Amino acid sequence: MGSWARPFTVAVPDADIELLRKKLELATFPDELQGAGWDYGAPLADIKRLTTYWKDSFDWRKSEKAINELPQFTTDIEVDGFGSLNIHFVHQKSKVENAIPLLFVHGWPGHFLEVRKLLPILTSESPDHPSFHVVAPSLPGFGFSEAPNKPGFGGFQYAEVVNKLMLSLGYDEYVYQGGDLGHVVGVYATNAYGNKHIKAWHTNMPFYRAPTLFSNPLLFLEMLTTPFNTRMQEQFAAAKRFRTKGMGYFVLQATKPQTLGYSLADSPVGLLAWIYEKLHKAVDKYPWTENEVLEWISVYWFSRAGPAAPQHMYYGLTHGNEHDLFEGTRWTSTPLGVGFFPGEPVRLPKSWVHMIGKVLFESEHDAGGHFAAFEQPARLAGDLQKMFGKGGPVYGIVPGKDGYV
Amino acid sequence: MAADKAGAEQPFTISIPQAELDLLRQKLVLIRFPDEIEGAGWDYGVPLEDTRRLIAHWKDAFDWRAAEADINLLPMFTRDIAIEGFGTLNIHYIHKRSEIAKAIPLLFVHGWPGHFLEVRKLLPLLTAGSPDHPSFHVVAVSLPGFGFSETPKKPGFAGRQYAELVNKLMLSLGYDEYVYQGGDWGHAVGAHLATHFGHRNLKAWHSNMPLSDKPKLFSHPIAFIRNLFPHDKTTREGLQVTAEFLSKGCGYMTEQKTKPQTLGYSLADSPVGLLAWIYEKLVTWTDSYPWTDDEVLEWVSIYWFSRAGPAASIRIYYEMMGGGSKDRLSGTKWTSIPLGLSYFPREHWRLPKSWGATLGKVVMRSQHDKGGHFAAFEQPEALADDVRKMFAKGGPAYGVVAGKDGYA
Repeated sequence: MGSWARPFTVAVPDADIELLRKKLELATFPDELQGAGWDYGAPLADIKRLTTYWKDSFDWRKSEKAINELPQFTTDIEVDGFGSLNIHFVHQKSKVENAIPLLFVHGWPGHFLEVRKLLPILTSESPDHPSFHVVAPSLPGFGFSEAPNKPGFGGFQYAEVVNKLMLSLGYDEYVYQGGDLGHVVGVYATNAYGNKHIKAWHTNMPFYRAPTLFSNPLLFLEMLTTPFNTRMQEQFAAAKRFRTKGMGYFVLQATKPQTLGYSLADSPVGLLAWIYEKLHKAVDKYPWTENEVLEWISVYWFSRAGPAAPQHMYYGLTHGNEHDLFEGTRWTSTPLGVGFFPGEPVRLPKSWVHMIGKVLFESEHDAGGHFAAFEQPARLAGDLQKMFGKGGPVYGIVPGKDGYV
Repeated sequence: MAADKAGAEQPFTISIPQAELDLLRQKLVLIRFPDEIEGAGWDYGVPLEDTRRLIAHWKDAFDWRAAEADINLLPMFTRDIAIEGFGTLNIHYIHKRSEIAKAIPLLFVHGWPGHFLEVRKLLPLLTAGSPDHPSFHVVAVSLPGFGFSETPKKPGFAGRQYAELVNKLMLSLGYDEYVYQGGDWGHAVGAHLATHFGHRNLKAWHSNMPLSDKPKLFSHPIAFIRNLFPHDKTTREGLQVTAEFLSKGCGYMTEQKTKPQTLGYSLADSPVGLLAWIYEKLVTWTDSYPWTDDEVLEWVSIYWFSRAGPAASIRIYYEMMGGGSKDRLSGTKWTSIPLGLSYFPREHWRLPKSWGATLGKVVMRSQHDKGGHFAAFEQPEALADDVRKMFAKGGPAYGVVAGKDGYA
């Protein structure tokens, strides 16, 4: 299952920091069309400003020191057919002994630090809300985890890694929170380990395949009546906009991640633009500071497997765009909570969440976007506290660990 | 200057400043390579082994100055062309005249990731004089944003503008009537050109990438009916290839037609990023063309050293495809000027031949058993042969240009 976890600190070699600086000195920028704004992608002024900051002002060592205040570890996880992967994770225990074990899984272009602002809230002790022991891994190929080096690493493999991680920490029964690819992994994980190990889960990006006549007849019929349903029309229009204008990265990463990877591994400016475009577009008016952006990008730049690795996850999940993200999964009865955030660009009609799992909790927020844990940690943590708290729909779902003293 | 006038022609030679070569070298020395999945081959994109080898060659062996000197043997020029609403653009082109005075003026237009040098191997063939086939005066333009042409500064430079620009170029050279050959974006520009300037200036055109919509009942009844019947094996296989391209080979296109600026930062800053981006197409879109490292690096260097930079060229996808919302032939219509189509087996758009009828009045179809997307570069003799046949005495488009039938 796994060897003992070892404490881990981020320690980027000086040579790597120096190489980054040298590359930034040589940065070559493209031109830009007049009045382009964000229409063609990340604006030149933004990228130039951020590059200059990265080169002259951003202090990686300072960030590194602060990141290392988080309790981080690595452990070897054996994955059937793929050998052993060394997995990096944050593990913050609550002072409450019977706190609920919670697995938090990031997505792309996210990373383990998305859990940072949640930690003090979720692990806090109170008679008024439950407390959690929180585990936040770096997915294989992200952050400081190894990347799979054999082909065919798909949804069930990612699920296997994170489940085995929890089991290796003695958390035989636990709950789960994820968005973006963290949500996708959650679907696979509940399919494979739902009810047995994963007792309940929460998503802030409720997404699944469209209903068909045979899979979900009622939802399918509802979809057919769309012309008469303005609310559904609005939701479809937003989804359509994202599909026509925002899917370039998805198709590319699901088909040719290696070709793209040469750029992202070699060019800090290229990597910056690739990720920053998402950081800007997918949030709900989040006031990014330069420091926050560059710290985020630097985690990708200095990652263990390099910046080309994470994008392979799209290929792995879709088998090179041969099928959708959810191949081989179906509805499960594992209790599910859903947080709807207004700025989430991947939106589907709300009624469709019932195709994913047994929805026992729904929460409609008035602020926050795709990176909910980072943008609106109190709101996201609030969902979990309500869902798992006394009087909540899945209170006490982990036997013996209700989160209270 | 008046909107309908072009500026004076200037002879042009490429002379990349030494500082540019030095900067490239500095970047090549600092290249950071990614890892690769075991046994990846071409499954995820360009193999690491290829990229490492090509970068080493670019850094230590490829001689840009020698390549530059060789390219400069071609008759190249620039001139300012005014485009309504876009000011003037300084446009780079090759102009090679035949010795035959009555040679047919032919405009050759490249695509992406192609460039003006795709015409190189065709030049001696097309400009050759003979009693047995027609001869051509050849103009090969660098589209705006490619090669050594300027790039538009404002949004909205699309089909109509490309047509206007290349047409004005031909007019400025004294070619009031001319014919055309293109593939990739050259095919789409040809369709726009036929729509706006067909008959008046453009008298016939030829494409080696016959991409079109499928026939509709009322506009092309015969082709529509033909398309209803089960296709033969070759056609079915072709459709399979096209479907495969659309699901697995279109990532670059989806990104370029929606977020070219975001991608452009990588292509402008990273030589290995640009190399991989283009090389992937050079290999996967050709019919086992035996690329030498020098050929690849010369090709990629044209992009790296291009006047507007490599990020400018990909904007053509966004502009022509409406930021993802329309297809590249939007705004074109069927015309009756003669159209010749060449089908090469490794072209990734392999649509039923009956669909070609929606593009124009097809007077010639030519099927080949060798060659891919970059036909002019891979199979210059075969392509030149098709063009000659189309305009030859007895051919379906003989004498379309008044007083210039291509013979002595």
